[in-house]
Parts: sequence; structure tokens; C-alpha cells
Amino acid sequence: MRRVLAGVAVLALSGTAAIAALVVWPIGGPPAEIELTGDVQRGAYLARASGCIACHTNFEDGGAPLAGGAPLETPFGVFYPPNITTDPEHGIGDWSLSDFAMTVRQGVSPDGEPLFPAFTYPFYADFSDQDVADMWAAFQTVAPVTNPAPPHDVGFPFNQRWGLKLWRALFMHDPQTEPVEGKSVDWNRGRQPVRGAAHCGACHTGRNLAGGRMPDAVFAGNDDLPGGNKAPSILSDDLADRGWTVANLSYALQSGVTPSGDVFGGSMGEVVQNGTRFLSKSDLKAMAIYLLDSDVPEGRALAGTPSIGKTID
Amino acid sequence: MMSGETGYDADTVRHAAETIGMHAGDAMTRLFPDGSAGMPSVAKDAIWNDWESFAGLAEELHRYAEGLALAADNAPASQSDTKSNTSAMMGGSDMMGANSMMGSGDMMADDTMGREELAEMPANAVFAKVSDTCSSCHTRFRAKVK
Repeated sequence: MRRVLAGVAVLALSGTAAIAALVVWPIGGPPAEIELTGDVQRGAYLARASGCIACHTNFEDGGAPLAGGAPLETPFGVFYPPNITTDPEHGIGDWSLSDFAMTVRQGVSPDGEPLFPAFTYPFYADFSDQDVADMWAAFQTVAPVTNPAPPHDVGFPFNQRWGLKLWRALFMHDPQTEPVEGKSVDWNRGRQPVRGAAHCGACHTGRNLAGGRMPDAVFAGNDDLPGGNKAPSILSDDLADRGWTVANLSYALQSGVTPSGDVFGGSMGEVVQNGTRFLSKSDLKAMAIYLLDSDVPEGRALAGTPSIGKTID
Repeated sequence: MMSGETGYDADTVRHAAETIGMHAGDAMTRLFPDGSAGMPSVAKDAIWNDWESFAGLAEELHRYAEGLALAADNAPASQSDTKSNTSAMMGGSDMMGANSMMGSGDMMADDTMGREELAEMPANAVFAKVSDTCSSCHTRFRAKVK
């Protein structure tokens, strides 16, 4: 009995020590000073492509641009996309470009806290200094909104920010947006937004019980999106089986109209209305070219591979 | 046709637009009586909680479809790559020029466009309004089927 108690005490102590270590474990860090001049137009385009505007604006309730988005209901709690206007108190008006770069690329707030991955920062990790400077310049043109967005409504244990450091260590994957040799210019041009900025995988990739994207389920679809939405597989073979072509897919991303004459609804409708319809035709075509010939291993072939916390269905 | 995969045919567009117009507006909202949510319907409760928006979109579809029928003879404008995209997004020189930023910018700003004005526009521009309206409504009020 005594040995058991001792064991429990040791476990408790080491558990406490582990948590203490996690709490002080530094993550991210301010990047080298960026001294580039941003291009507002390009930055605004990138902000559109990245979903900043779609997610941080509550369109349905007529909210001001970037003043805070519609709540995102997840198994971990309700997330309220914050006010990211130039208001210094309730927005990001008192941030520096370095703060912004660290937040967007690393998911770390200016005070060093890890951000909840409801914010899709893992997809933005490969943004160049110029990308970040351009976006920052565009954000400077946003009118300040003096109301705060509601705080996240997340219960224990998910509200313990140190836990996010573990999450980062386990589930933060490289977005794989860099060009691949031997592939066409268009293919590489499409790979960048699909795997990065436009973060298709945020919805179309299955997640485990901890909300981490499963490496063997990339683009294989997700039936459990926030708000009861579902995202179908966008693996190349599945897209082709369902009749998608480069022409009709790029047109659908631009117009919302699908090959059958129907339109996207639900969350994909929002993606098109507040995001992809603003992209250039050549970018949309490149995305379609990549999606229909993606270098994502077909999920089903790998479905037997065990992965941490893999959901059973 | 509107995506440019097949040639433009004004009669086909006019005919289809008239058909859509006949099923829009009141003809559409009549099909959603109180209490008709739930399987097999994919209508969301939001329809009845926000009937005004739903009926507004149905009426907007009516107007745009009739406008498209009138505009069917106006050859589609060529859409250069840079056109709708960047300008629609920026409005002015800044990122968020109120209307530009609201995404559905052109829809909202054009809310009051009458059939006569629509009749003067290139057919594909009116078609974009029709499909935007379809999409807005399905995004807000249609639940996912599968």
C-alpha cells in the first residue's frame, strides 16, 4: 500500500513538474525585424485568400469588417474570432509588424501565449516576410471598431493554454507549400494557396479527438465540422469521380455554381462568398489544377496506419 | 455557358431565366409553410426565424432572374483576369472600403437595382447576381444533405 501511495505521489509530483515545465516552455519568438514596405493591394488579396475577412467578420449579423466573427462551436467550446481592427484596445492597433508576423506564422500572441488552433495559423507558417508585410499594410487601412469580441467560452481542461504547447508539439505540421521540382508552374502556384493560405485542409482533413489534423486523412473529408457542417473528400481521385474538372472547379470556386447547376451552401458557400470569389481566375485555375493532381497520398491506402488519438468510425 | 465552356446562346439564357423567375419570389416562399422543417426537407429553422431575409432573397432572385431574361441579348462582357477580383475587393485604395469589404459588396450595394437597369447590363454580370443570390440563400438556409 505504501508503495502504491508513493507511486501516486511520484506521479502527481512529476505531473505537476511536467505541467510547470510546459507553462514556462517558451514557444515561438519574435522573428528578425521585418523592414519591408507592404503593398496594401497584395496584402488585402492575401487576407481574402487566407480567410481573415471571412472568419473575423460576422456577416450574418451585419458586423463591421474584421470586428469579430461569428462564433465557432466546437467540441472544445465556443470560439469567438477576435476583433482585429486597428482599435488599440479591443483590436490589434497597438501591435507591431513583428507581433503580427509572430501571430500569423507561429500562432503565438504578442505576450507569448499560444493561440487556440481554431485560428488556422499552422497553414500560414510559410508566409514570406513580404507576405506578412503586405498583409500588415492592408490591416492598417481597417477602420477601428471600439467594441471587443466576446471572450472564448472554453471549459477546463481546454482553457489551459499550456496544453496548447503539447498540441503544437504533436499536431503542428509543416504546411508543405514550397514548390516541388518537376511540377508545372501552375501546379506549384496552386499548391501554395491550397496547402497554405486558403487552408482547404482545415475543413477537408479529418481531425482526431484532440482536434489535430490526421496526417493520413489529408483532404479525405470531415463529417464533423463546427455547426454540424460536413466537408467531402477533395482527394484528386474523388474529385475526378464526382465529375470535377479544372474548368468547372475553378468556376465553382469563383461563382459558387457547381457542375450540376446547384450552388454551394453551408460553410463552402461562405468560403466562396467571402473568400475565393475574390481571387484571380488564374489563381483559381492553378488551385484546381493542383487539387485534381495533388501530391497528397490517397488517405484510404494509409487508413490502417495508427495515429495518435485516431477517431474510430 | 456562363463559364465559357460552351458558346453563348441568348434564347437559352432567356428561357432559363424566365423559368427561374417563375419559381422565385412568392412562388418560392409559398413552398415553405410554417412547420415544414425536418426530414426529408433540408430547410433550416433559420428560414422561419428570419423570414424577412429569406423572403427578401427569394424576391431578389425574382428580380434578378427577370433582369437576366431582359439582358439575355447583351453579349457577355469579357472578364479579364484582373477585373472583378482586385477591384471588387478593394473598392478604393484601402482594404475595407465599406462596400467592397463586405464580400457580397456588389450584391448589397445593388440591392435596389431595378429590372430596367439590369436589362442594360452584360448577361454574365446579371447571371453572377442570380447565382450569388442562390448561393447566399443556400448558405444561410439550406442544411447539408449528406
